[in-house]
Parts: sequence; structure tokens; C-alpha cells
Amino acid sequence: MKARIQVLACKACTEMPQLLDMDDLMNVASERELVVSSMLVDRVCDPKIIKRVVAEASERDVDRVLVLACQKKDVNPGLLAAYKRAGVNEFMVEYINLRDEVILPHISDKERAQAKAETKAVAGLERLLMLQPLEKAEEVMRTKNVVILGGGVAGRKAAEVAAAEGAHTIIIEKSGSSHKTPGVIMPNSTLLGAKGYGGNFVLSIKAGEKVEELECAAVVVATGGGWAELKGPLAKAFKSAVPLYRLHEQMQTGAVPKGPVVIVDSPDPAGKTLAVQDFAWDDTLELAIDLKKQQPLEEVYVVFQEMRAFGLSELAYKDAAELGVRFIRYDRAAGPKIDPKEPTKLTVKDLAQAEVLTIPIGTLAFAAIPANKDNIGIATALRIPMSPEGGVRRGSIQRWPVSTPRPGVFVCGSAMFPKSKDMAEAEGEAAGLMAGKFVMKGVIEYGGVVAEVAQEKCSACLTCVRTCPYDAPYIGSAGKVEIRIQACQGCGMCAGICPSKAIELRGSTDDQIAQETRTMLGGDF
Amino acid sequence: MIVAKRKPMAEIAEMVAPYKTVKVIGCRSCVAICLAGGEKEVKMLVSALRLKAKKEGRKQEFEGLVVERQCEKEWVEEVEGKILDSDLVLSMACSLGAQTIGDMYPKKIVFPALNTGIFGVPEEQGVWSEKCVGCGNCIIHTTGGICPIARCAKSMLNGPCGGSSNGKCEVNLEVDCAWYAIHERLKLQNRLDLIEQVSPPKDWSTSHSGGRRVYVRDDAKLTQHQKKGKEAVR
Repeated sequence: MKARIQVLACKACTEMPQLLDMDDLMNVASERELVVSSMLVDRVCDPKIIKRVVAEASERDVDRVLVLACQKKDVNPGLLAAYKRAGVNEFMVEYINLRDEVILPHISDKERAQAKAETKAVAGLERLLMLQPLEKAEEVMRTKNVVILGGGVAGRKAAEVAAAEGAHTIIIEKSGSSHKTPGVIMPNSTLLGAKGYGGNFVLSIKAGEKVEELECAAVVVATGGGWAELKGPLAKAFKSAVPLYRLHEQMQTGAVPKGPVVIVDSPDPAGKTLAVQDFAWDDTLELAIDLKKQQPLEEVYVVFQEMRAFGLSELAYKDAAELGVRFIRYDRAAGPKIDPKEPTKLTVKDLAQAEVLTIPIGTLAFAAIPANKDNIGIATALRIPMSPEGGVRRGSIQRWPVSTPRPGVFVCGSAMFPKSKDMAEAEGEAAGLMAGKFVMKGVIEYGGVVAEVAQEKCSACLTCVRTCPYDAPYIGSAGKVEIRIQACQGCGMCAGICPSKAIELRGSTDDQIAQETRTMLGGDF
Repeated sequence: MIVAKRKPMAEIAEMVAPYKTVKVIGCRSCVAICLAGGEKEVKMLVSALRLKAKKEGRKQEFEGLVVERQCEKEWVEEVEGKILDSDLVLSMACSLGAQTIGDMYPKKIVFPALNTGIFGVPEEQGVWSEKCVGCGNCIIHTTGGICPIARCAKSMLNGPCGGSSNGKCEVNLEVDCAWYAIHERLKLQNRLDLIEQVSPPKDWSTSHSGGRRVYVRDDAKLTQHQKKGKEAVR
């Protein structure tokens, strides 16, 4: 059957900075004869729009889709689900991340951005033509256990909510906890390691002196995390600076900070040792508003590389601006500096005015949190990634705020980065709900984009076995590598490193990548 | 296993520049496993050489091939046609593989793309360390299973020397002292008496000297009669 392509583009981010000519891009993409439907919509995440788009796909008998928007994990999963219902195989939907790969890197070069967007769209279409539909299979979960690591505010809330969903909850608490929660509490215990995969994990738990194996379907990381202090040269340069959270705590006990208050994102503008995560934006807005309400006549400066306000936070931004908070976006190359001889002044180059400003300091706060190493062991045991701040990394602030990139592993509270009690509790509720729903489905889906071994090429060198973070490859009875498909997350690390080229990732083969690259280079190589 | 490393790109590019038809031949054995000359590395080198030739305006043809074990004639014969068709064979096997091709097809020019290094053990993913130098006269039953010839900077038979300090070697402070390790191992095994026994000078006649060493297993060798019979049906 001939390919029938739908090109779907989203205006939400792509048109906002007035960088891309989306109509032009659509024309380039839909010139191809195999494109039977092309739609430029306001927001691909909008359920109403999804309905319309998929209805058209059905009508035109579309069998594959090119989505020009942001990254796949930030797009409403309802879009993929709707395509699936309409008979489009989920692995025949290709996402091109215009936001992160075109707009952000080329924000000051319109021509280059447009050219790159066109190249990526055309190459994406080439790749789309080489995709094959893939299927998923199901495996039954052996238990309804949800293991919650940490019996603090977030963990207890997660247990309560997961239990209400019908899951069996087990809290692993490193101290001897006495709080009342549903389910089992294992005091004085820690996680040592995890075998298996989301849906059917086998955890090894050190309980007292004993090491026990514990089967579970999902894990919620609610380990919390302490505050870390600035150390070394940064502490010296920003001697008077206090962390944002501490200023907040002080204000809650009635302290009145000396104005003007300057909040910088990070005392290290190069961002090498400290990074500002999503949390900093909301917390900063909240603090700035509180400061302005407390002392309306004192100036509050927010000196950030960028300030993003998602969802309802946009209202907080509006409130802060109306109260007179001054937002200064600076150039990374000329970030905030303090001359040690004049510690009451901060200089920074304002990006909007292209001018160096001198700001008087009454109180100085910074929003970035230095790395806290408490969670490294947990992340290593569960093979989940860490954020630059040293906490557990969440999937995506927009779509997966309490998920990790690993299915069946959820995270909440200060395990990610220090949070207020309210926030930790709210996240515990969300993570408990996610874990409860995950477990109550009773089955896991696996397959699709997974590694595949050409056994005749395998030299059983163990390179993939040693490399895979999820223990998916193993040497089978024939002395060659086999893949535990349920465990495979489709990351492609084994395929990338296999010295014998015996492994390929389904849905992302060498041929497809080569074809894509060839198109990008103009078909010349 | 034999551990090798690819030569620097500039050196390889200079070697191959004068030749028109170049066959890059890798090996699926040791050098594949040590990530130096398997199919993946062959493909990467071929792509790189192709790009370089194109960039510098040279008309060269590169083709990548991989054989199971390049040190064995039967496997090399599988790509005989390609070898005979080339101006240059660039071997991505260890030097054994490169020399096997060279000996089989003496008119063909064979260049090495790798530097063959050590008999190494993969300590962890991406790290190989030398533990044997193939001296031909193994003594590790007297040294707690640790070879002082390969692992001591001075290949001392009676150690440690005065330069051993805190378990490290005076030649390179990052290297563990082999004799310290031997002492610790023997202690663990309650065999420390061995370290006090003086080892006499070793018989080095089995080591690399006086030309190449040849190992023969008479019981495994085919008779002239058998060989002729096999050749006849080839």
C-alpha cells in the first residue's frame, strides 16, 4: 500500500517568537505527493483540535503522521491515543521538535531557523516513509504492590491515595516511623537494588540486618532531600546571599527582609555547578509577590536568564508585574556580578535594553539549589536519571510532573528538589494516584521500539550486557545475546555500542537514520 | 584477549591517500570485542575516509568488510575476491590478521589501521588492562595468581623492590605495585611463606627472543596424506 501522510503542525510555540513562517513550512512539507492532509493548528494538545485532526486523518485514510511541534513527551498523549483509535499505528507517528531544535537555538537568526525547520521537516518525511508498523504485547502484573520509598509527608500521602485506588502499599522508611498510614510500613529499611521492570519489579530491601526480596508493580520515590549550602568560591563572592527557600521560611516566621530585595537565578551565571530548575520560577514569583505585599514601597528585582510561567503560574507572573516587581533577563555572557569591594551593588547586562545595570542590594537571594547527594543511591538502584541539582529527575514539568523516564517509577516531593510541605503533599497525592492507576491496570504493555539481535552476528562479547541500564540483554542458551523485551526501554544504547553491529533498534534502524541524514545533506552523500 | 587501538585518523588518512580502491577489513573476534576493529568501527572508519577523500577532492573507493577471525585463512578466503580486487587492504584486525592476509596474498599491499597492544582483561566496560606478556613459562602458581612479569614495572621475580609505597609503584604512582598485591593475596591464602622463597633466574628461552616462536601440536596436525586429500576436493 502506498504511504498516505498527514502533516500536523502546532502554532503554540512555533509562531510565538515570530521566527518561523509556518505557512511557508507547511507548503514545503505538503508539496510531497504522498502528503494527503496538512493541518496547521493553534495547539495540538487541545482535545477539540485533536478530535478534528484525527477525524480528517480517518477520512483521508492516513497511515502515517508527521507532527511538527515540540518534543513528544510534552505533547498531549491523547493525540497518539486518538490516532491509535483511528487505526494509525502509534509507531508511524513521527515528532519533529521545532521548539527545542530550531526555535531556541536559532532565536536570533530567522533565515537559518526557517531553513533548518524545512530541512528537518523534509528529512522527517523521508524517515516516515521508511517506518514500519510495530506492535505491542501485554504481560500480567504479578502483584498489586506499590512500594513507597520514604514515609515523610509526600510518601504517606502517596500511600493513602494509592491504597484508595486499590493498590497494596508498602512504605520503606529508613528511620523507625510511627505515623499511621494504610498498608505496611517497613521501618529501618533501605533499597539496595531493583531487578525487573515496571509492572514486575523485584526489589532487594535491607530491613534491619536482613536483605529481603520484595515483588512490586510500581515504585514511588518519596525520599525527601535536605538543603545544601553554597561552598567554595561561590560562597565567597555571594557572601551575603541566602537561598530562596530560606528567605521564604524567614518571612513565614514574620521577618521583614531589608529592601531592595534582589533574587538571582543562580550565583554561578555559567551554570556549571548550579542549575535553575523549573521549580525556581514558581517559587520566585510567589516570593516576589509576598515581598511586594509585605513592603509595597521596596523594590524587588528578579534577575533571571529566563523566566517561564506555565499554566496558572502565568497569573502569578501577571500579579507580580502589576505589583511592580522588576524582571531583568540577562545575557548569559554577562551574568550578574558583585564586586567584593562593593557588596551592596550588583551589575548585570539587561538583555532587553542591551545595557549594563547597577542594582542596589538590601537582601540578596538565589533560586538555584546546590547539589544534594542524598538521592544518588536510590537513583542508581532504580536506574533513573538525576537532575543537575542532584535530585531525581521528573519526566517533564508539563506532562509528567511526578513520573520518571522509567515506566512504573514515580517521584514526588523533595526527592526532586527541596519543596514546601504543601507542594510535597500535593505531589505525593499525584504520584500515589499515578502509581495506583498504573498497578490497577494489572497488565503492562511492552514491545514496539525495542532492541533486536541478529544472532548470527553476535560475538557474545557482553558489551551490551554491561552497557544496558535496564538489564534487558542477556546471554541465552545458544550462547548469543537475547533481549528481555519487557525490560527494554528502547533507549538504543546497546545498538549504538554493539561492536559487531548485531543489534538494531526497531523503528530506528541504521537505514532510516542514513536516509534521514542523506536528505538533510541534500541527497549528495 | 588481544587488545588494540585504532591509529590516529590523520595517520591512517595519510597512509591510504595514494590508493584508489581500498578495502577496509575488520575482524569479529578480539578487536571487535575491545571496540577497535569490529563491524561498527569498520563502518565508521569507511565513512570518515570517504568524507575526507571527498573533501580533499580525491577519487577513492572505500569498502568495509568484516570476517569472523582474520588470523585464520579459511575466514579470510571468504573475502578473497574483494582482496584481489583492491589496490590496498586496510586491516582493522590485530597485526596477526593483517599479516595473515599479507602472507596469503603476497602481491597485495596490506596496511594496519590498528596498533596492536596487549593481552588484556576487560576490567570494566571500556577499560582493558594488561595481565600477561606471553613469556611462555608461567609462574603465577608461586605468586598468588598474579603475574609479576606483566604487572611489575621491573618484571621482578623477587619483590617488592624498595620503590613500593602504600601499595603503589614508584615508576608510576597510579599503578598498583604487583608485589604488594602478591603479598596481600598470599596472606589471604595463608601462603606467605612463598614470598620468602628466592626465585632463581627464570628460563627466558621460551620468551620472545631468537625469532618468532611457533607452537606445534603434533596430535592435532594433519598428515601430508590427509592434507593432500583435503586440497583435492577444494
